[in-house]
Amino acid sequence: MSKLNSKSIVSLHKKLVKKEITALDLVKEAIENCKHDPCNSLEATCYDEALKKASKITEVKEDEILKGIPYLAKDNYSTKGLETTASSNILNGYVPLYDATVISRLNQKGMILIGKTTMDELAMGGTGTTSHKGVTCNPYDKTRIAGGSSCGSATSLALGFVPLTLGSDTGDSVRKPASYNSLVGFKPTWGRVSRYGLFPFAPSLDCPAYFTRNVLDSAYILSAISGHDSKDMSSSTRKKDNYEKYVKENRTLNKVGYFKAVKDNIKNPIIKAKYEELLSKLEEKGYEIIEYDYPLELLNALYPTYMIISCAEATSNNANLDGIRFGPKPDGDLKTYSDYMIEARTKGFSDLIKRRFVIGSFSLLSENMSEMFSRAQKARRLIVDNLNLFFDSIDYLLVPASYDKPKKISELSTSWSTKPDYLDNIMTLGNFGGNPSLTLPLGYLDNLPFGVNITGRIFEDGYVFALASEIEKITGLKDIVVKEAK
Amino acid sequence: MELEPVIGIEIHVELKTKSKMFSSAPTSFGQSPNSMTVPFDLAFPGTMPVVNKEAVRFGIKVCKALNMKINKTLYFDRKNYFYPDLPKGYQITQQFDPIGKDGYVLLETENGERKITIEQAHLEEDTAKQLHLNDISLIDFNRCGTPLIEIVSNPDMRSGEEAMKYVEAIREIVTFLEVSDGKMENGSLRCDINISLREKGSNKFGVKTECKNLNTISNIKAAVDYEIKRQTEIILSGGKVEQETRRYDETNKKTVLMRKKTNAIDYKYFREPNIIPIDLSDDFINDAIYSMNKLPYEYKKEFKKEGLSNYEIEVLLKDLYTVNYFSDCVLLGVKNLSTLWNLLLVEILGYLNKNELALKDINLSKESLVYLANALSDNKINSKQGKIVLEKMLKENKDSKEIIKELNLEQVSDKSFIEDLVNQVLENNKQVVADYQKGKDHGLGYLVGQVMKLSQGKANPKLAKDIIISKIGECPKK
Repeated sequence: MSKLNSKSIVSLHKKLVKKEITALDLVKEAIENCKHDPCNSLEATCYDEALKKASKITEVKEDEILKGIPYLAKDNYSTKGLETTASSNILNGYVPLYDATVISRLNQKGMILIGKTTMDELAMGGTGTTSHKGVTCNPYDKTRIAGGSSCGSATSLALGFVPLTLGSDTGDSVRKPASYNSLVGFKPTWGRVSRYGLFPFAPSLDCPAYFTRNVLDSAYILSAISGHDSKDMSSSTRKKDNYEKYVKENRTLNKVGYFKAVKDNIKNPIIKAKYEELLSKLEEKGYEIIEYDYPLELLNALYPTYMIISCAEATSNNANLDGIRFGPKPDGDLKTYSDYMIEARTKGFSDLIKRRFVIGSFSLLSENMSEMFSRAQKARRLIVDNLNLFFDSIDYLLVPASYDKPKKISELSTSWSTKPDYLDNIMTLGNFGGNPSLTLPLGYLDNLPFGVNITGRIFEDGYVFALASEIEKITGLKDIVVKEAK
Repeated sequence: MELEPVIGIEIHVELKTKSKMFSSAPTSFGQSPNSMTVPFDLAFPGTMPVVNKEAVRFGIKVCKALNMKINKTLYFDRKNYFYPDLPKGYQITQQFDPIGKDGYVLLETENGERKITIEQAHLEEDTAKQLHLNDISLIDFNRCGTPLIEIVSNPDMRSGEEAMKYVEAIREIVTFLEVSDGKMENGSLRCDINISLREKGSNKFGVKTECKNLNTISNIKAAVDYEIKRQTEIILSGGKVEQETRRYDETNKKTVLMRKKTNAIDYKYFREPNIIPIDLSDDFINDAIYSMNKLPYEYKKEFKKEGLSNYEIEVLLKDLYTVNYFSDCVLLGVKNLSTLWNLLLVEILGYLNKNELALKDINLSKESLVYLANALSDNKINSKQGKIVLEKMLKENKDSKEIIKELNLEQVSDKSFIEDLVNQVLENNKQVVADYQKGKDHGLGYLVGQVMKLSQGKANPKLAKDIIISKIGECPKK
């Protein structure tokens, strides 16, 4: 019997309205699913609280699309009364006093939080292997990575635990794992959704983001969580939209562009073929397909620019983690405040995190500032200016979301590549520019999924959903769950 | 070698907004520890800063009062360093584009008017307070996040007196604007003074020391004078001043070493990514400017025109409540400002000090005080009677007009009535009149006294004297 939680939000909603199922049925099953997790997807859970909430829901109206639907949240969303660690030892035992805005908005709509999901420590990482709980593996092949940093949210959704999981996206932390787990991963326009309560990694790039298993569900979620928040000054005061309408009314724009350098460099023949096939099918549907020469030197600048800006911001944002006000107290004979902080931070952070902090700090030192941090900011400006030039004449940027199978966990290395491939970092474009960007399934390599990514103009989130829905119809890949983790 | 002191001052002023600079927690003084906090103040993960509009409005007022250029776009930056009183591990401040730039204040000094230029003023948040006990340190986050405006002068001052006058001028301005308590003893106004010496005529700066812990205005002069003396002695004896932070020791009246400034901390400043630059509308800026209180120098100009002396003005301007009270009385129609000044700043203030009260505690009617002041300056009552009336006003909370009536104090200035009394007195004291006319001038005082006695003290003595002289002539000179 296929699980209820494997279905779409829209279809579950219909069943709830017709009283074919109850919220309690859904929550009970979601809890059961979470208890049999083959991939190490979960952090703290709140089963009792969820059951209590579900049992109070006796009726769901037509317009209460999200009411009674269970969900999981990445462990970097502040959840009142529920331990939140960002999968880092330095936050073990930290129980927040307040809910993140995204959490409280979903709760207001009647959604039911079941628990928290694993992530790369403090959202810094792309493999899903650096949580304080160890490796979160790919349900399609447990010897391979799930991708990160929103690993537990990707795997739990792919396994059909619930129909929505929240992630966050600073580089491609939702859109890459979506590709590896055959999911829809959406990062809204920066400022469209409040970041209040999302633990910051690099605020100028961070974006609340999420996974669903189809495009329409994704659009509904944005309608629920977007809009100005007085607690986040960077959240936009623009009027929010009914994003699902873009999908239902097929409101797409016409010009789909691709970067020549990207298409020419896809090495995997199956991905290349699928990607080209998609472009020609879109053309058949009447879309204008446009090749674009985005400067190669800027593509090569993506990785260093991203690393310097994100590490610099990260070192400052995580300076509050000093063991004084929350998190585990350091032990030992600590004489001074600096002994205390050093001990807490030495024990609390993994070496990978420390490396990022060192790089971030180094790039901000006054003697390095102009050569590193300021230069990275200038590079970011050029990257975004050139992306905006692209969007002056073209409505969408279409790229493959991954270029190979997810890596074998045993083959991972912690050393940083000295010759990074810009294809691996292409989706950081959406973070630099703050653009809405969505990954959805495109195909399989030996039963391992890969996706395609659409990026649109800022605040044109609705048009991105509309094209994604078109592509979903072309590929036929939606509402996909793993039958059994292998 | 003639040495010249070079003094620059950084003043941190706590703004008395209702809530904190970047959070909704109330600002307060003397509440129980850590009770005035919200999650942002303790830097719980995921919390974000929201700029306090009122603090920005106060900032604009301060900048305007200091004749500064006001930046129409607000930018904030992070100053990164680890310290237990800094929960986020960075302070949000305005490093690169402060709210105000290039201002000045004018000081009245012994050497005439001096213009002290101000480099900039920037908004930032205060840190928490630490309490160090024997074996434990405690942190109180109530103060953490209180809005501050830091006012940075150029090194324009040359003496302890100028430094003191400068701080006093800033203190007056922020208290008159009602943007701060400006209380040095509470730490709501704190200053760091940079002092160095150089050969007179040189443009180069010598090695400076920074002086902290100055909690009264008069300490500033004492500390600066001491530091100038100390550095002079070092230099004249062939030594070198070291760059260090010193604090003023009030008991021993000298500055003592706090710490050497060896390698300065690199604060790794960068733009605060959670606050997008805020464009201030002209309306917002103008609203702030139009709602400004009158500034000290404006009061000075006005009072001077109305005839108060420099000394009277200086004493009056020490307290804003008193100034406002005084101004209101002037508007109610006081005829002589010095009479009012005497009543308010000598008699009433004396009474208040003796009873440990403040003017705002006693609910003294301005109309009543104005009536008394005018009765005095019109010579309706004499100064001795004035004191009696005032005492009744303060102790019994009665109206001056009623007291004067009740005590039947009002002087009689009816000429024919007084003339009748004079005639009686002259008739009864012929010998005195004769002696007076021969040159015994003290007779005049006696005669006036007799008129007063007959009138039961109500006759206008000046009028009585004039009438007597008109009748018996001036006393001939011997």
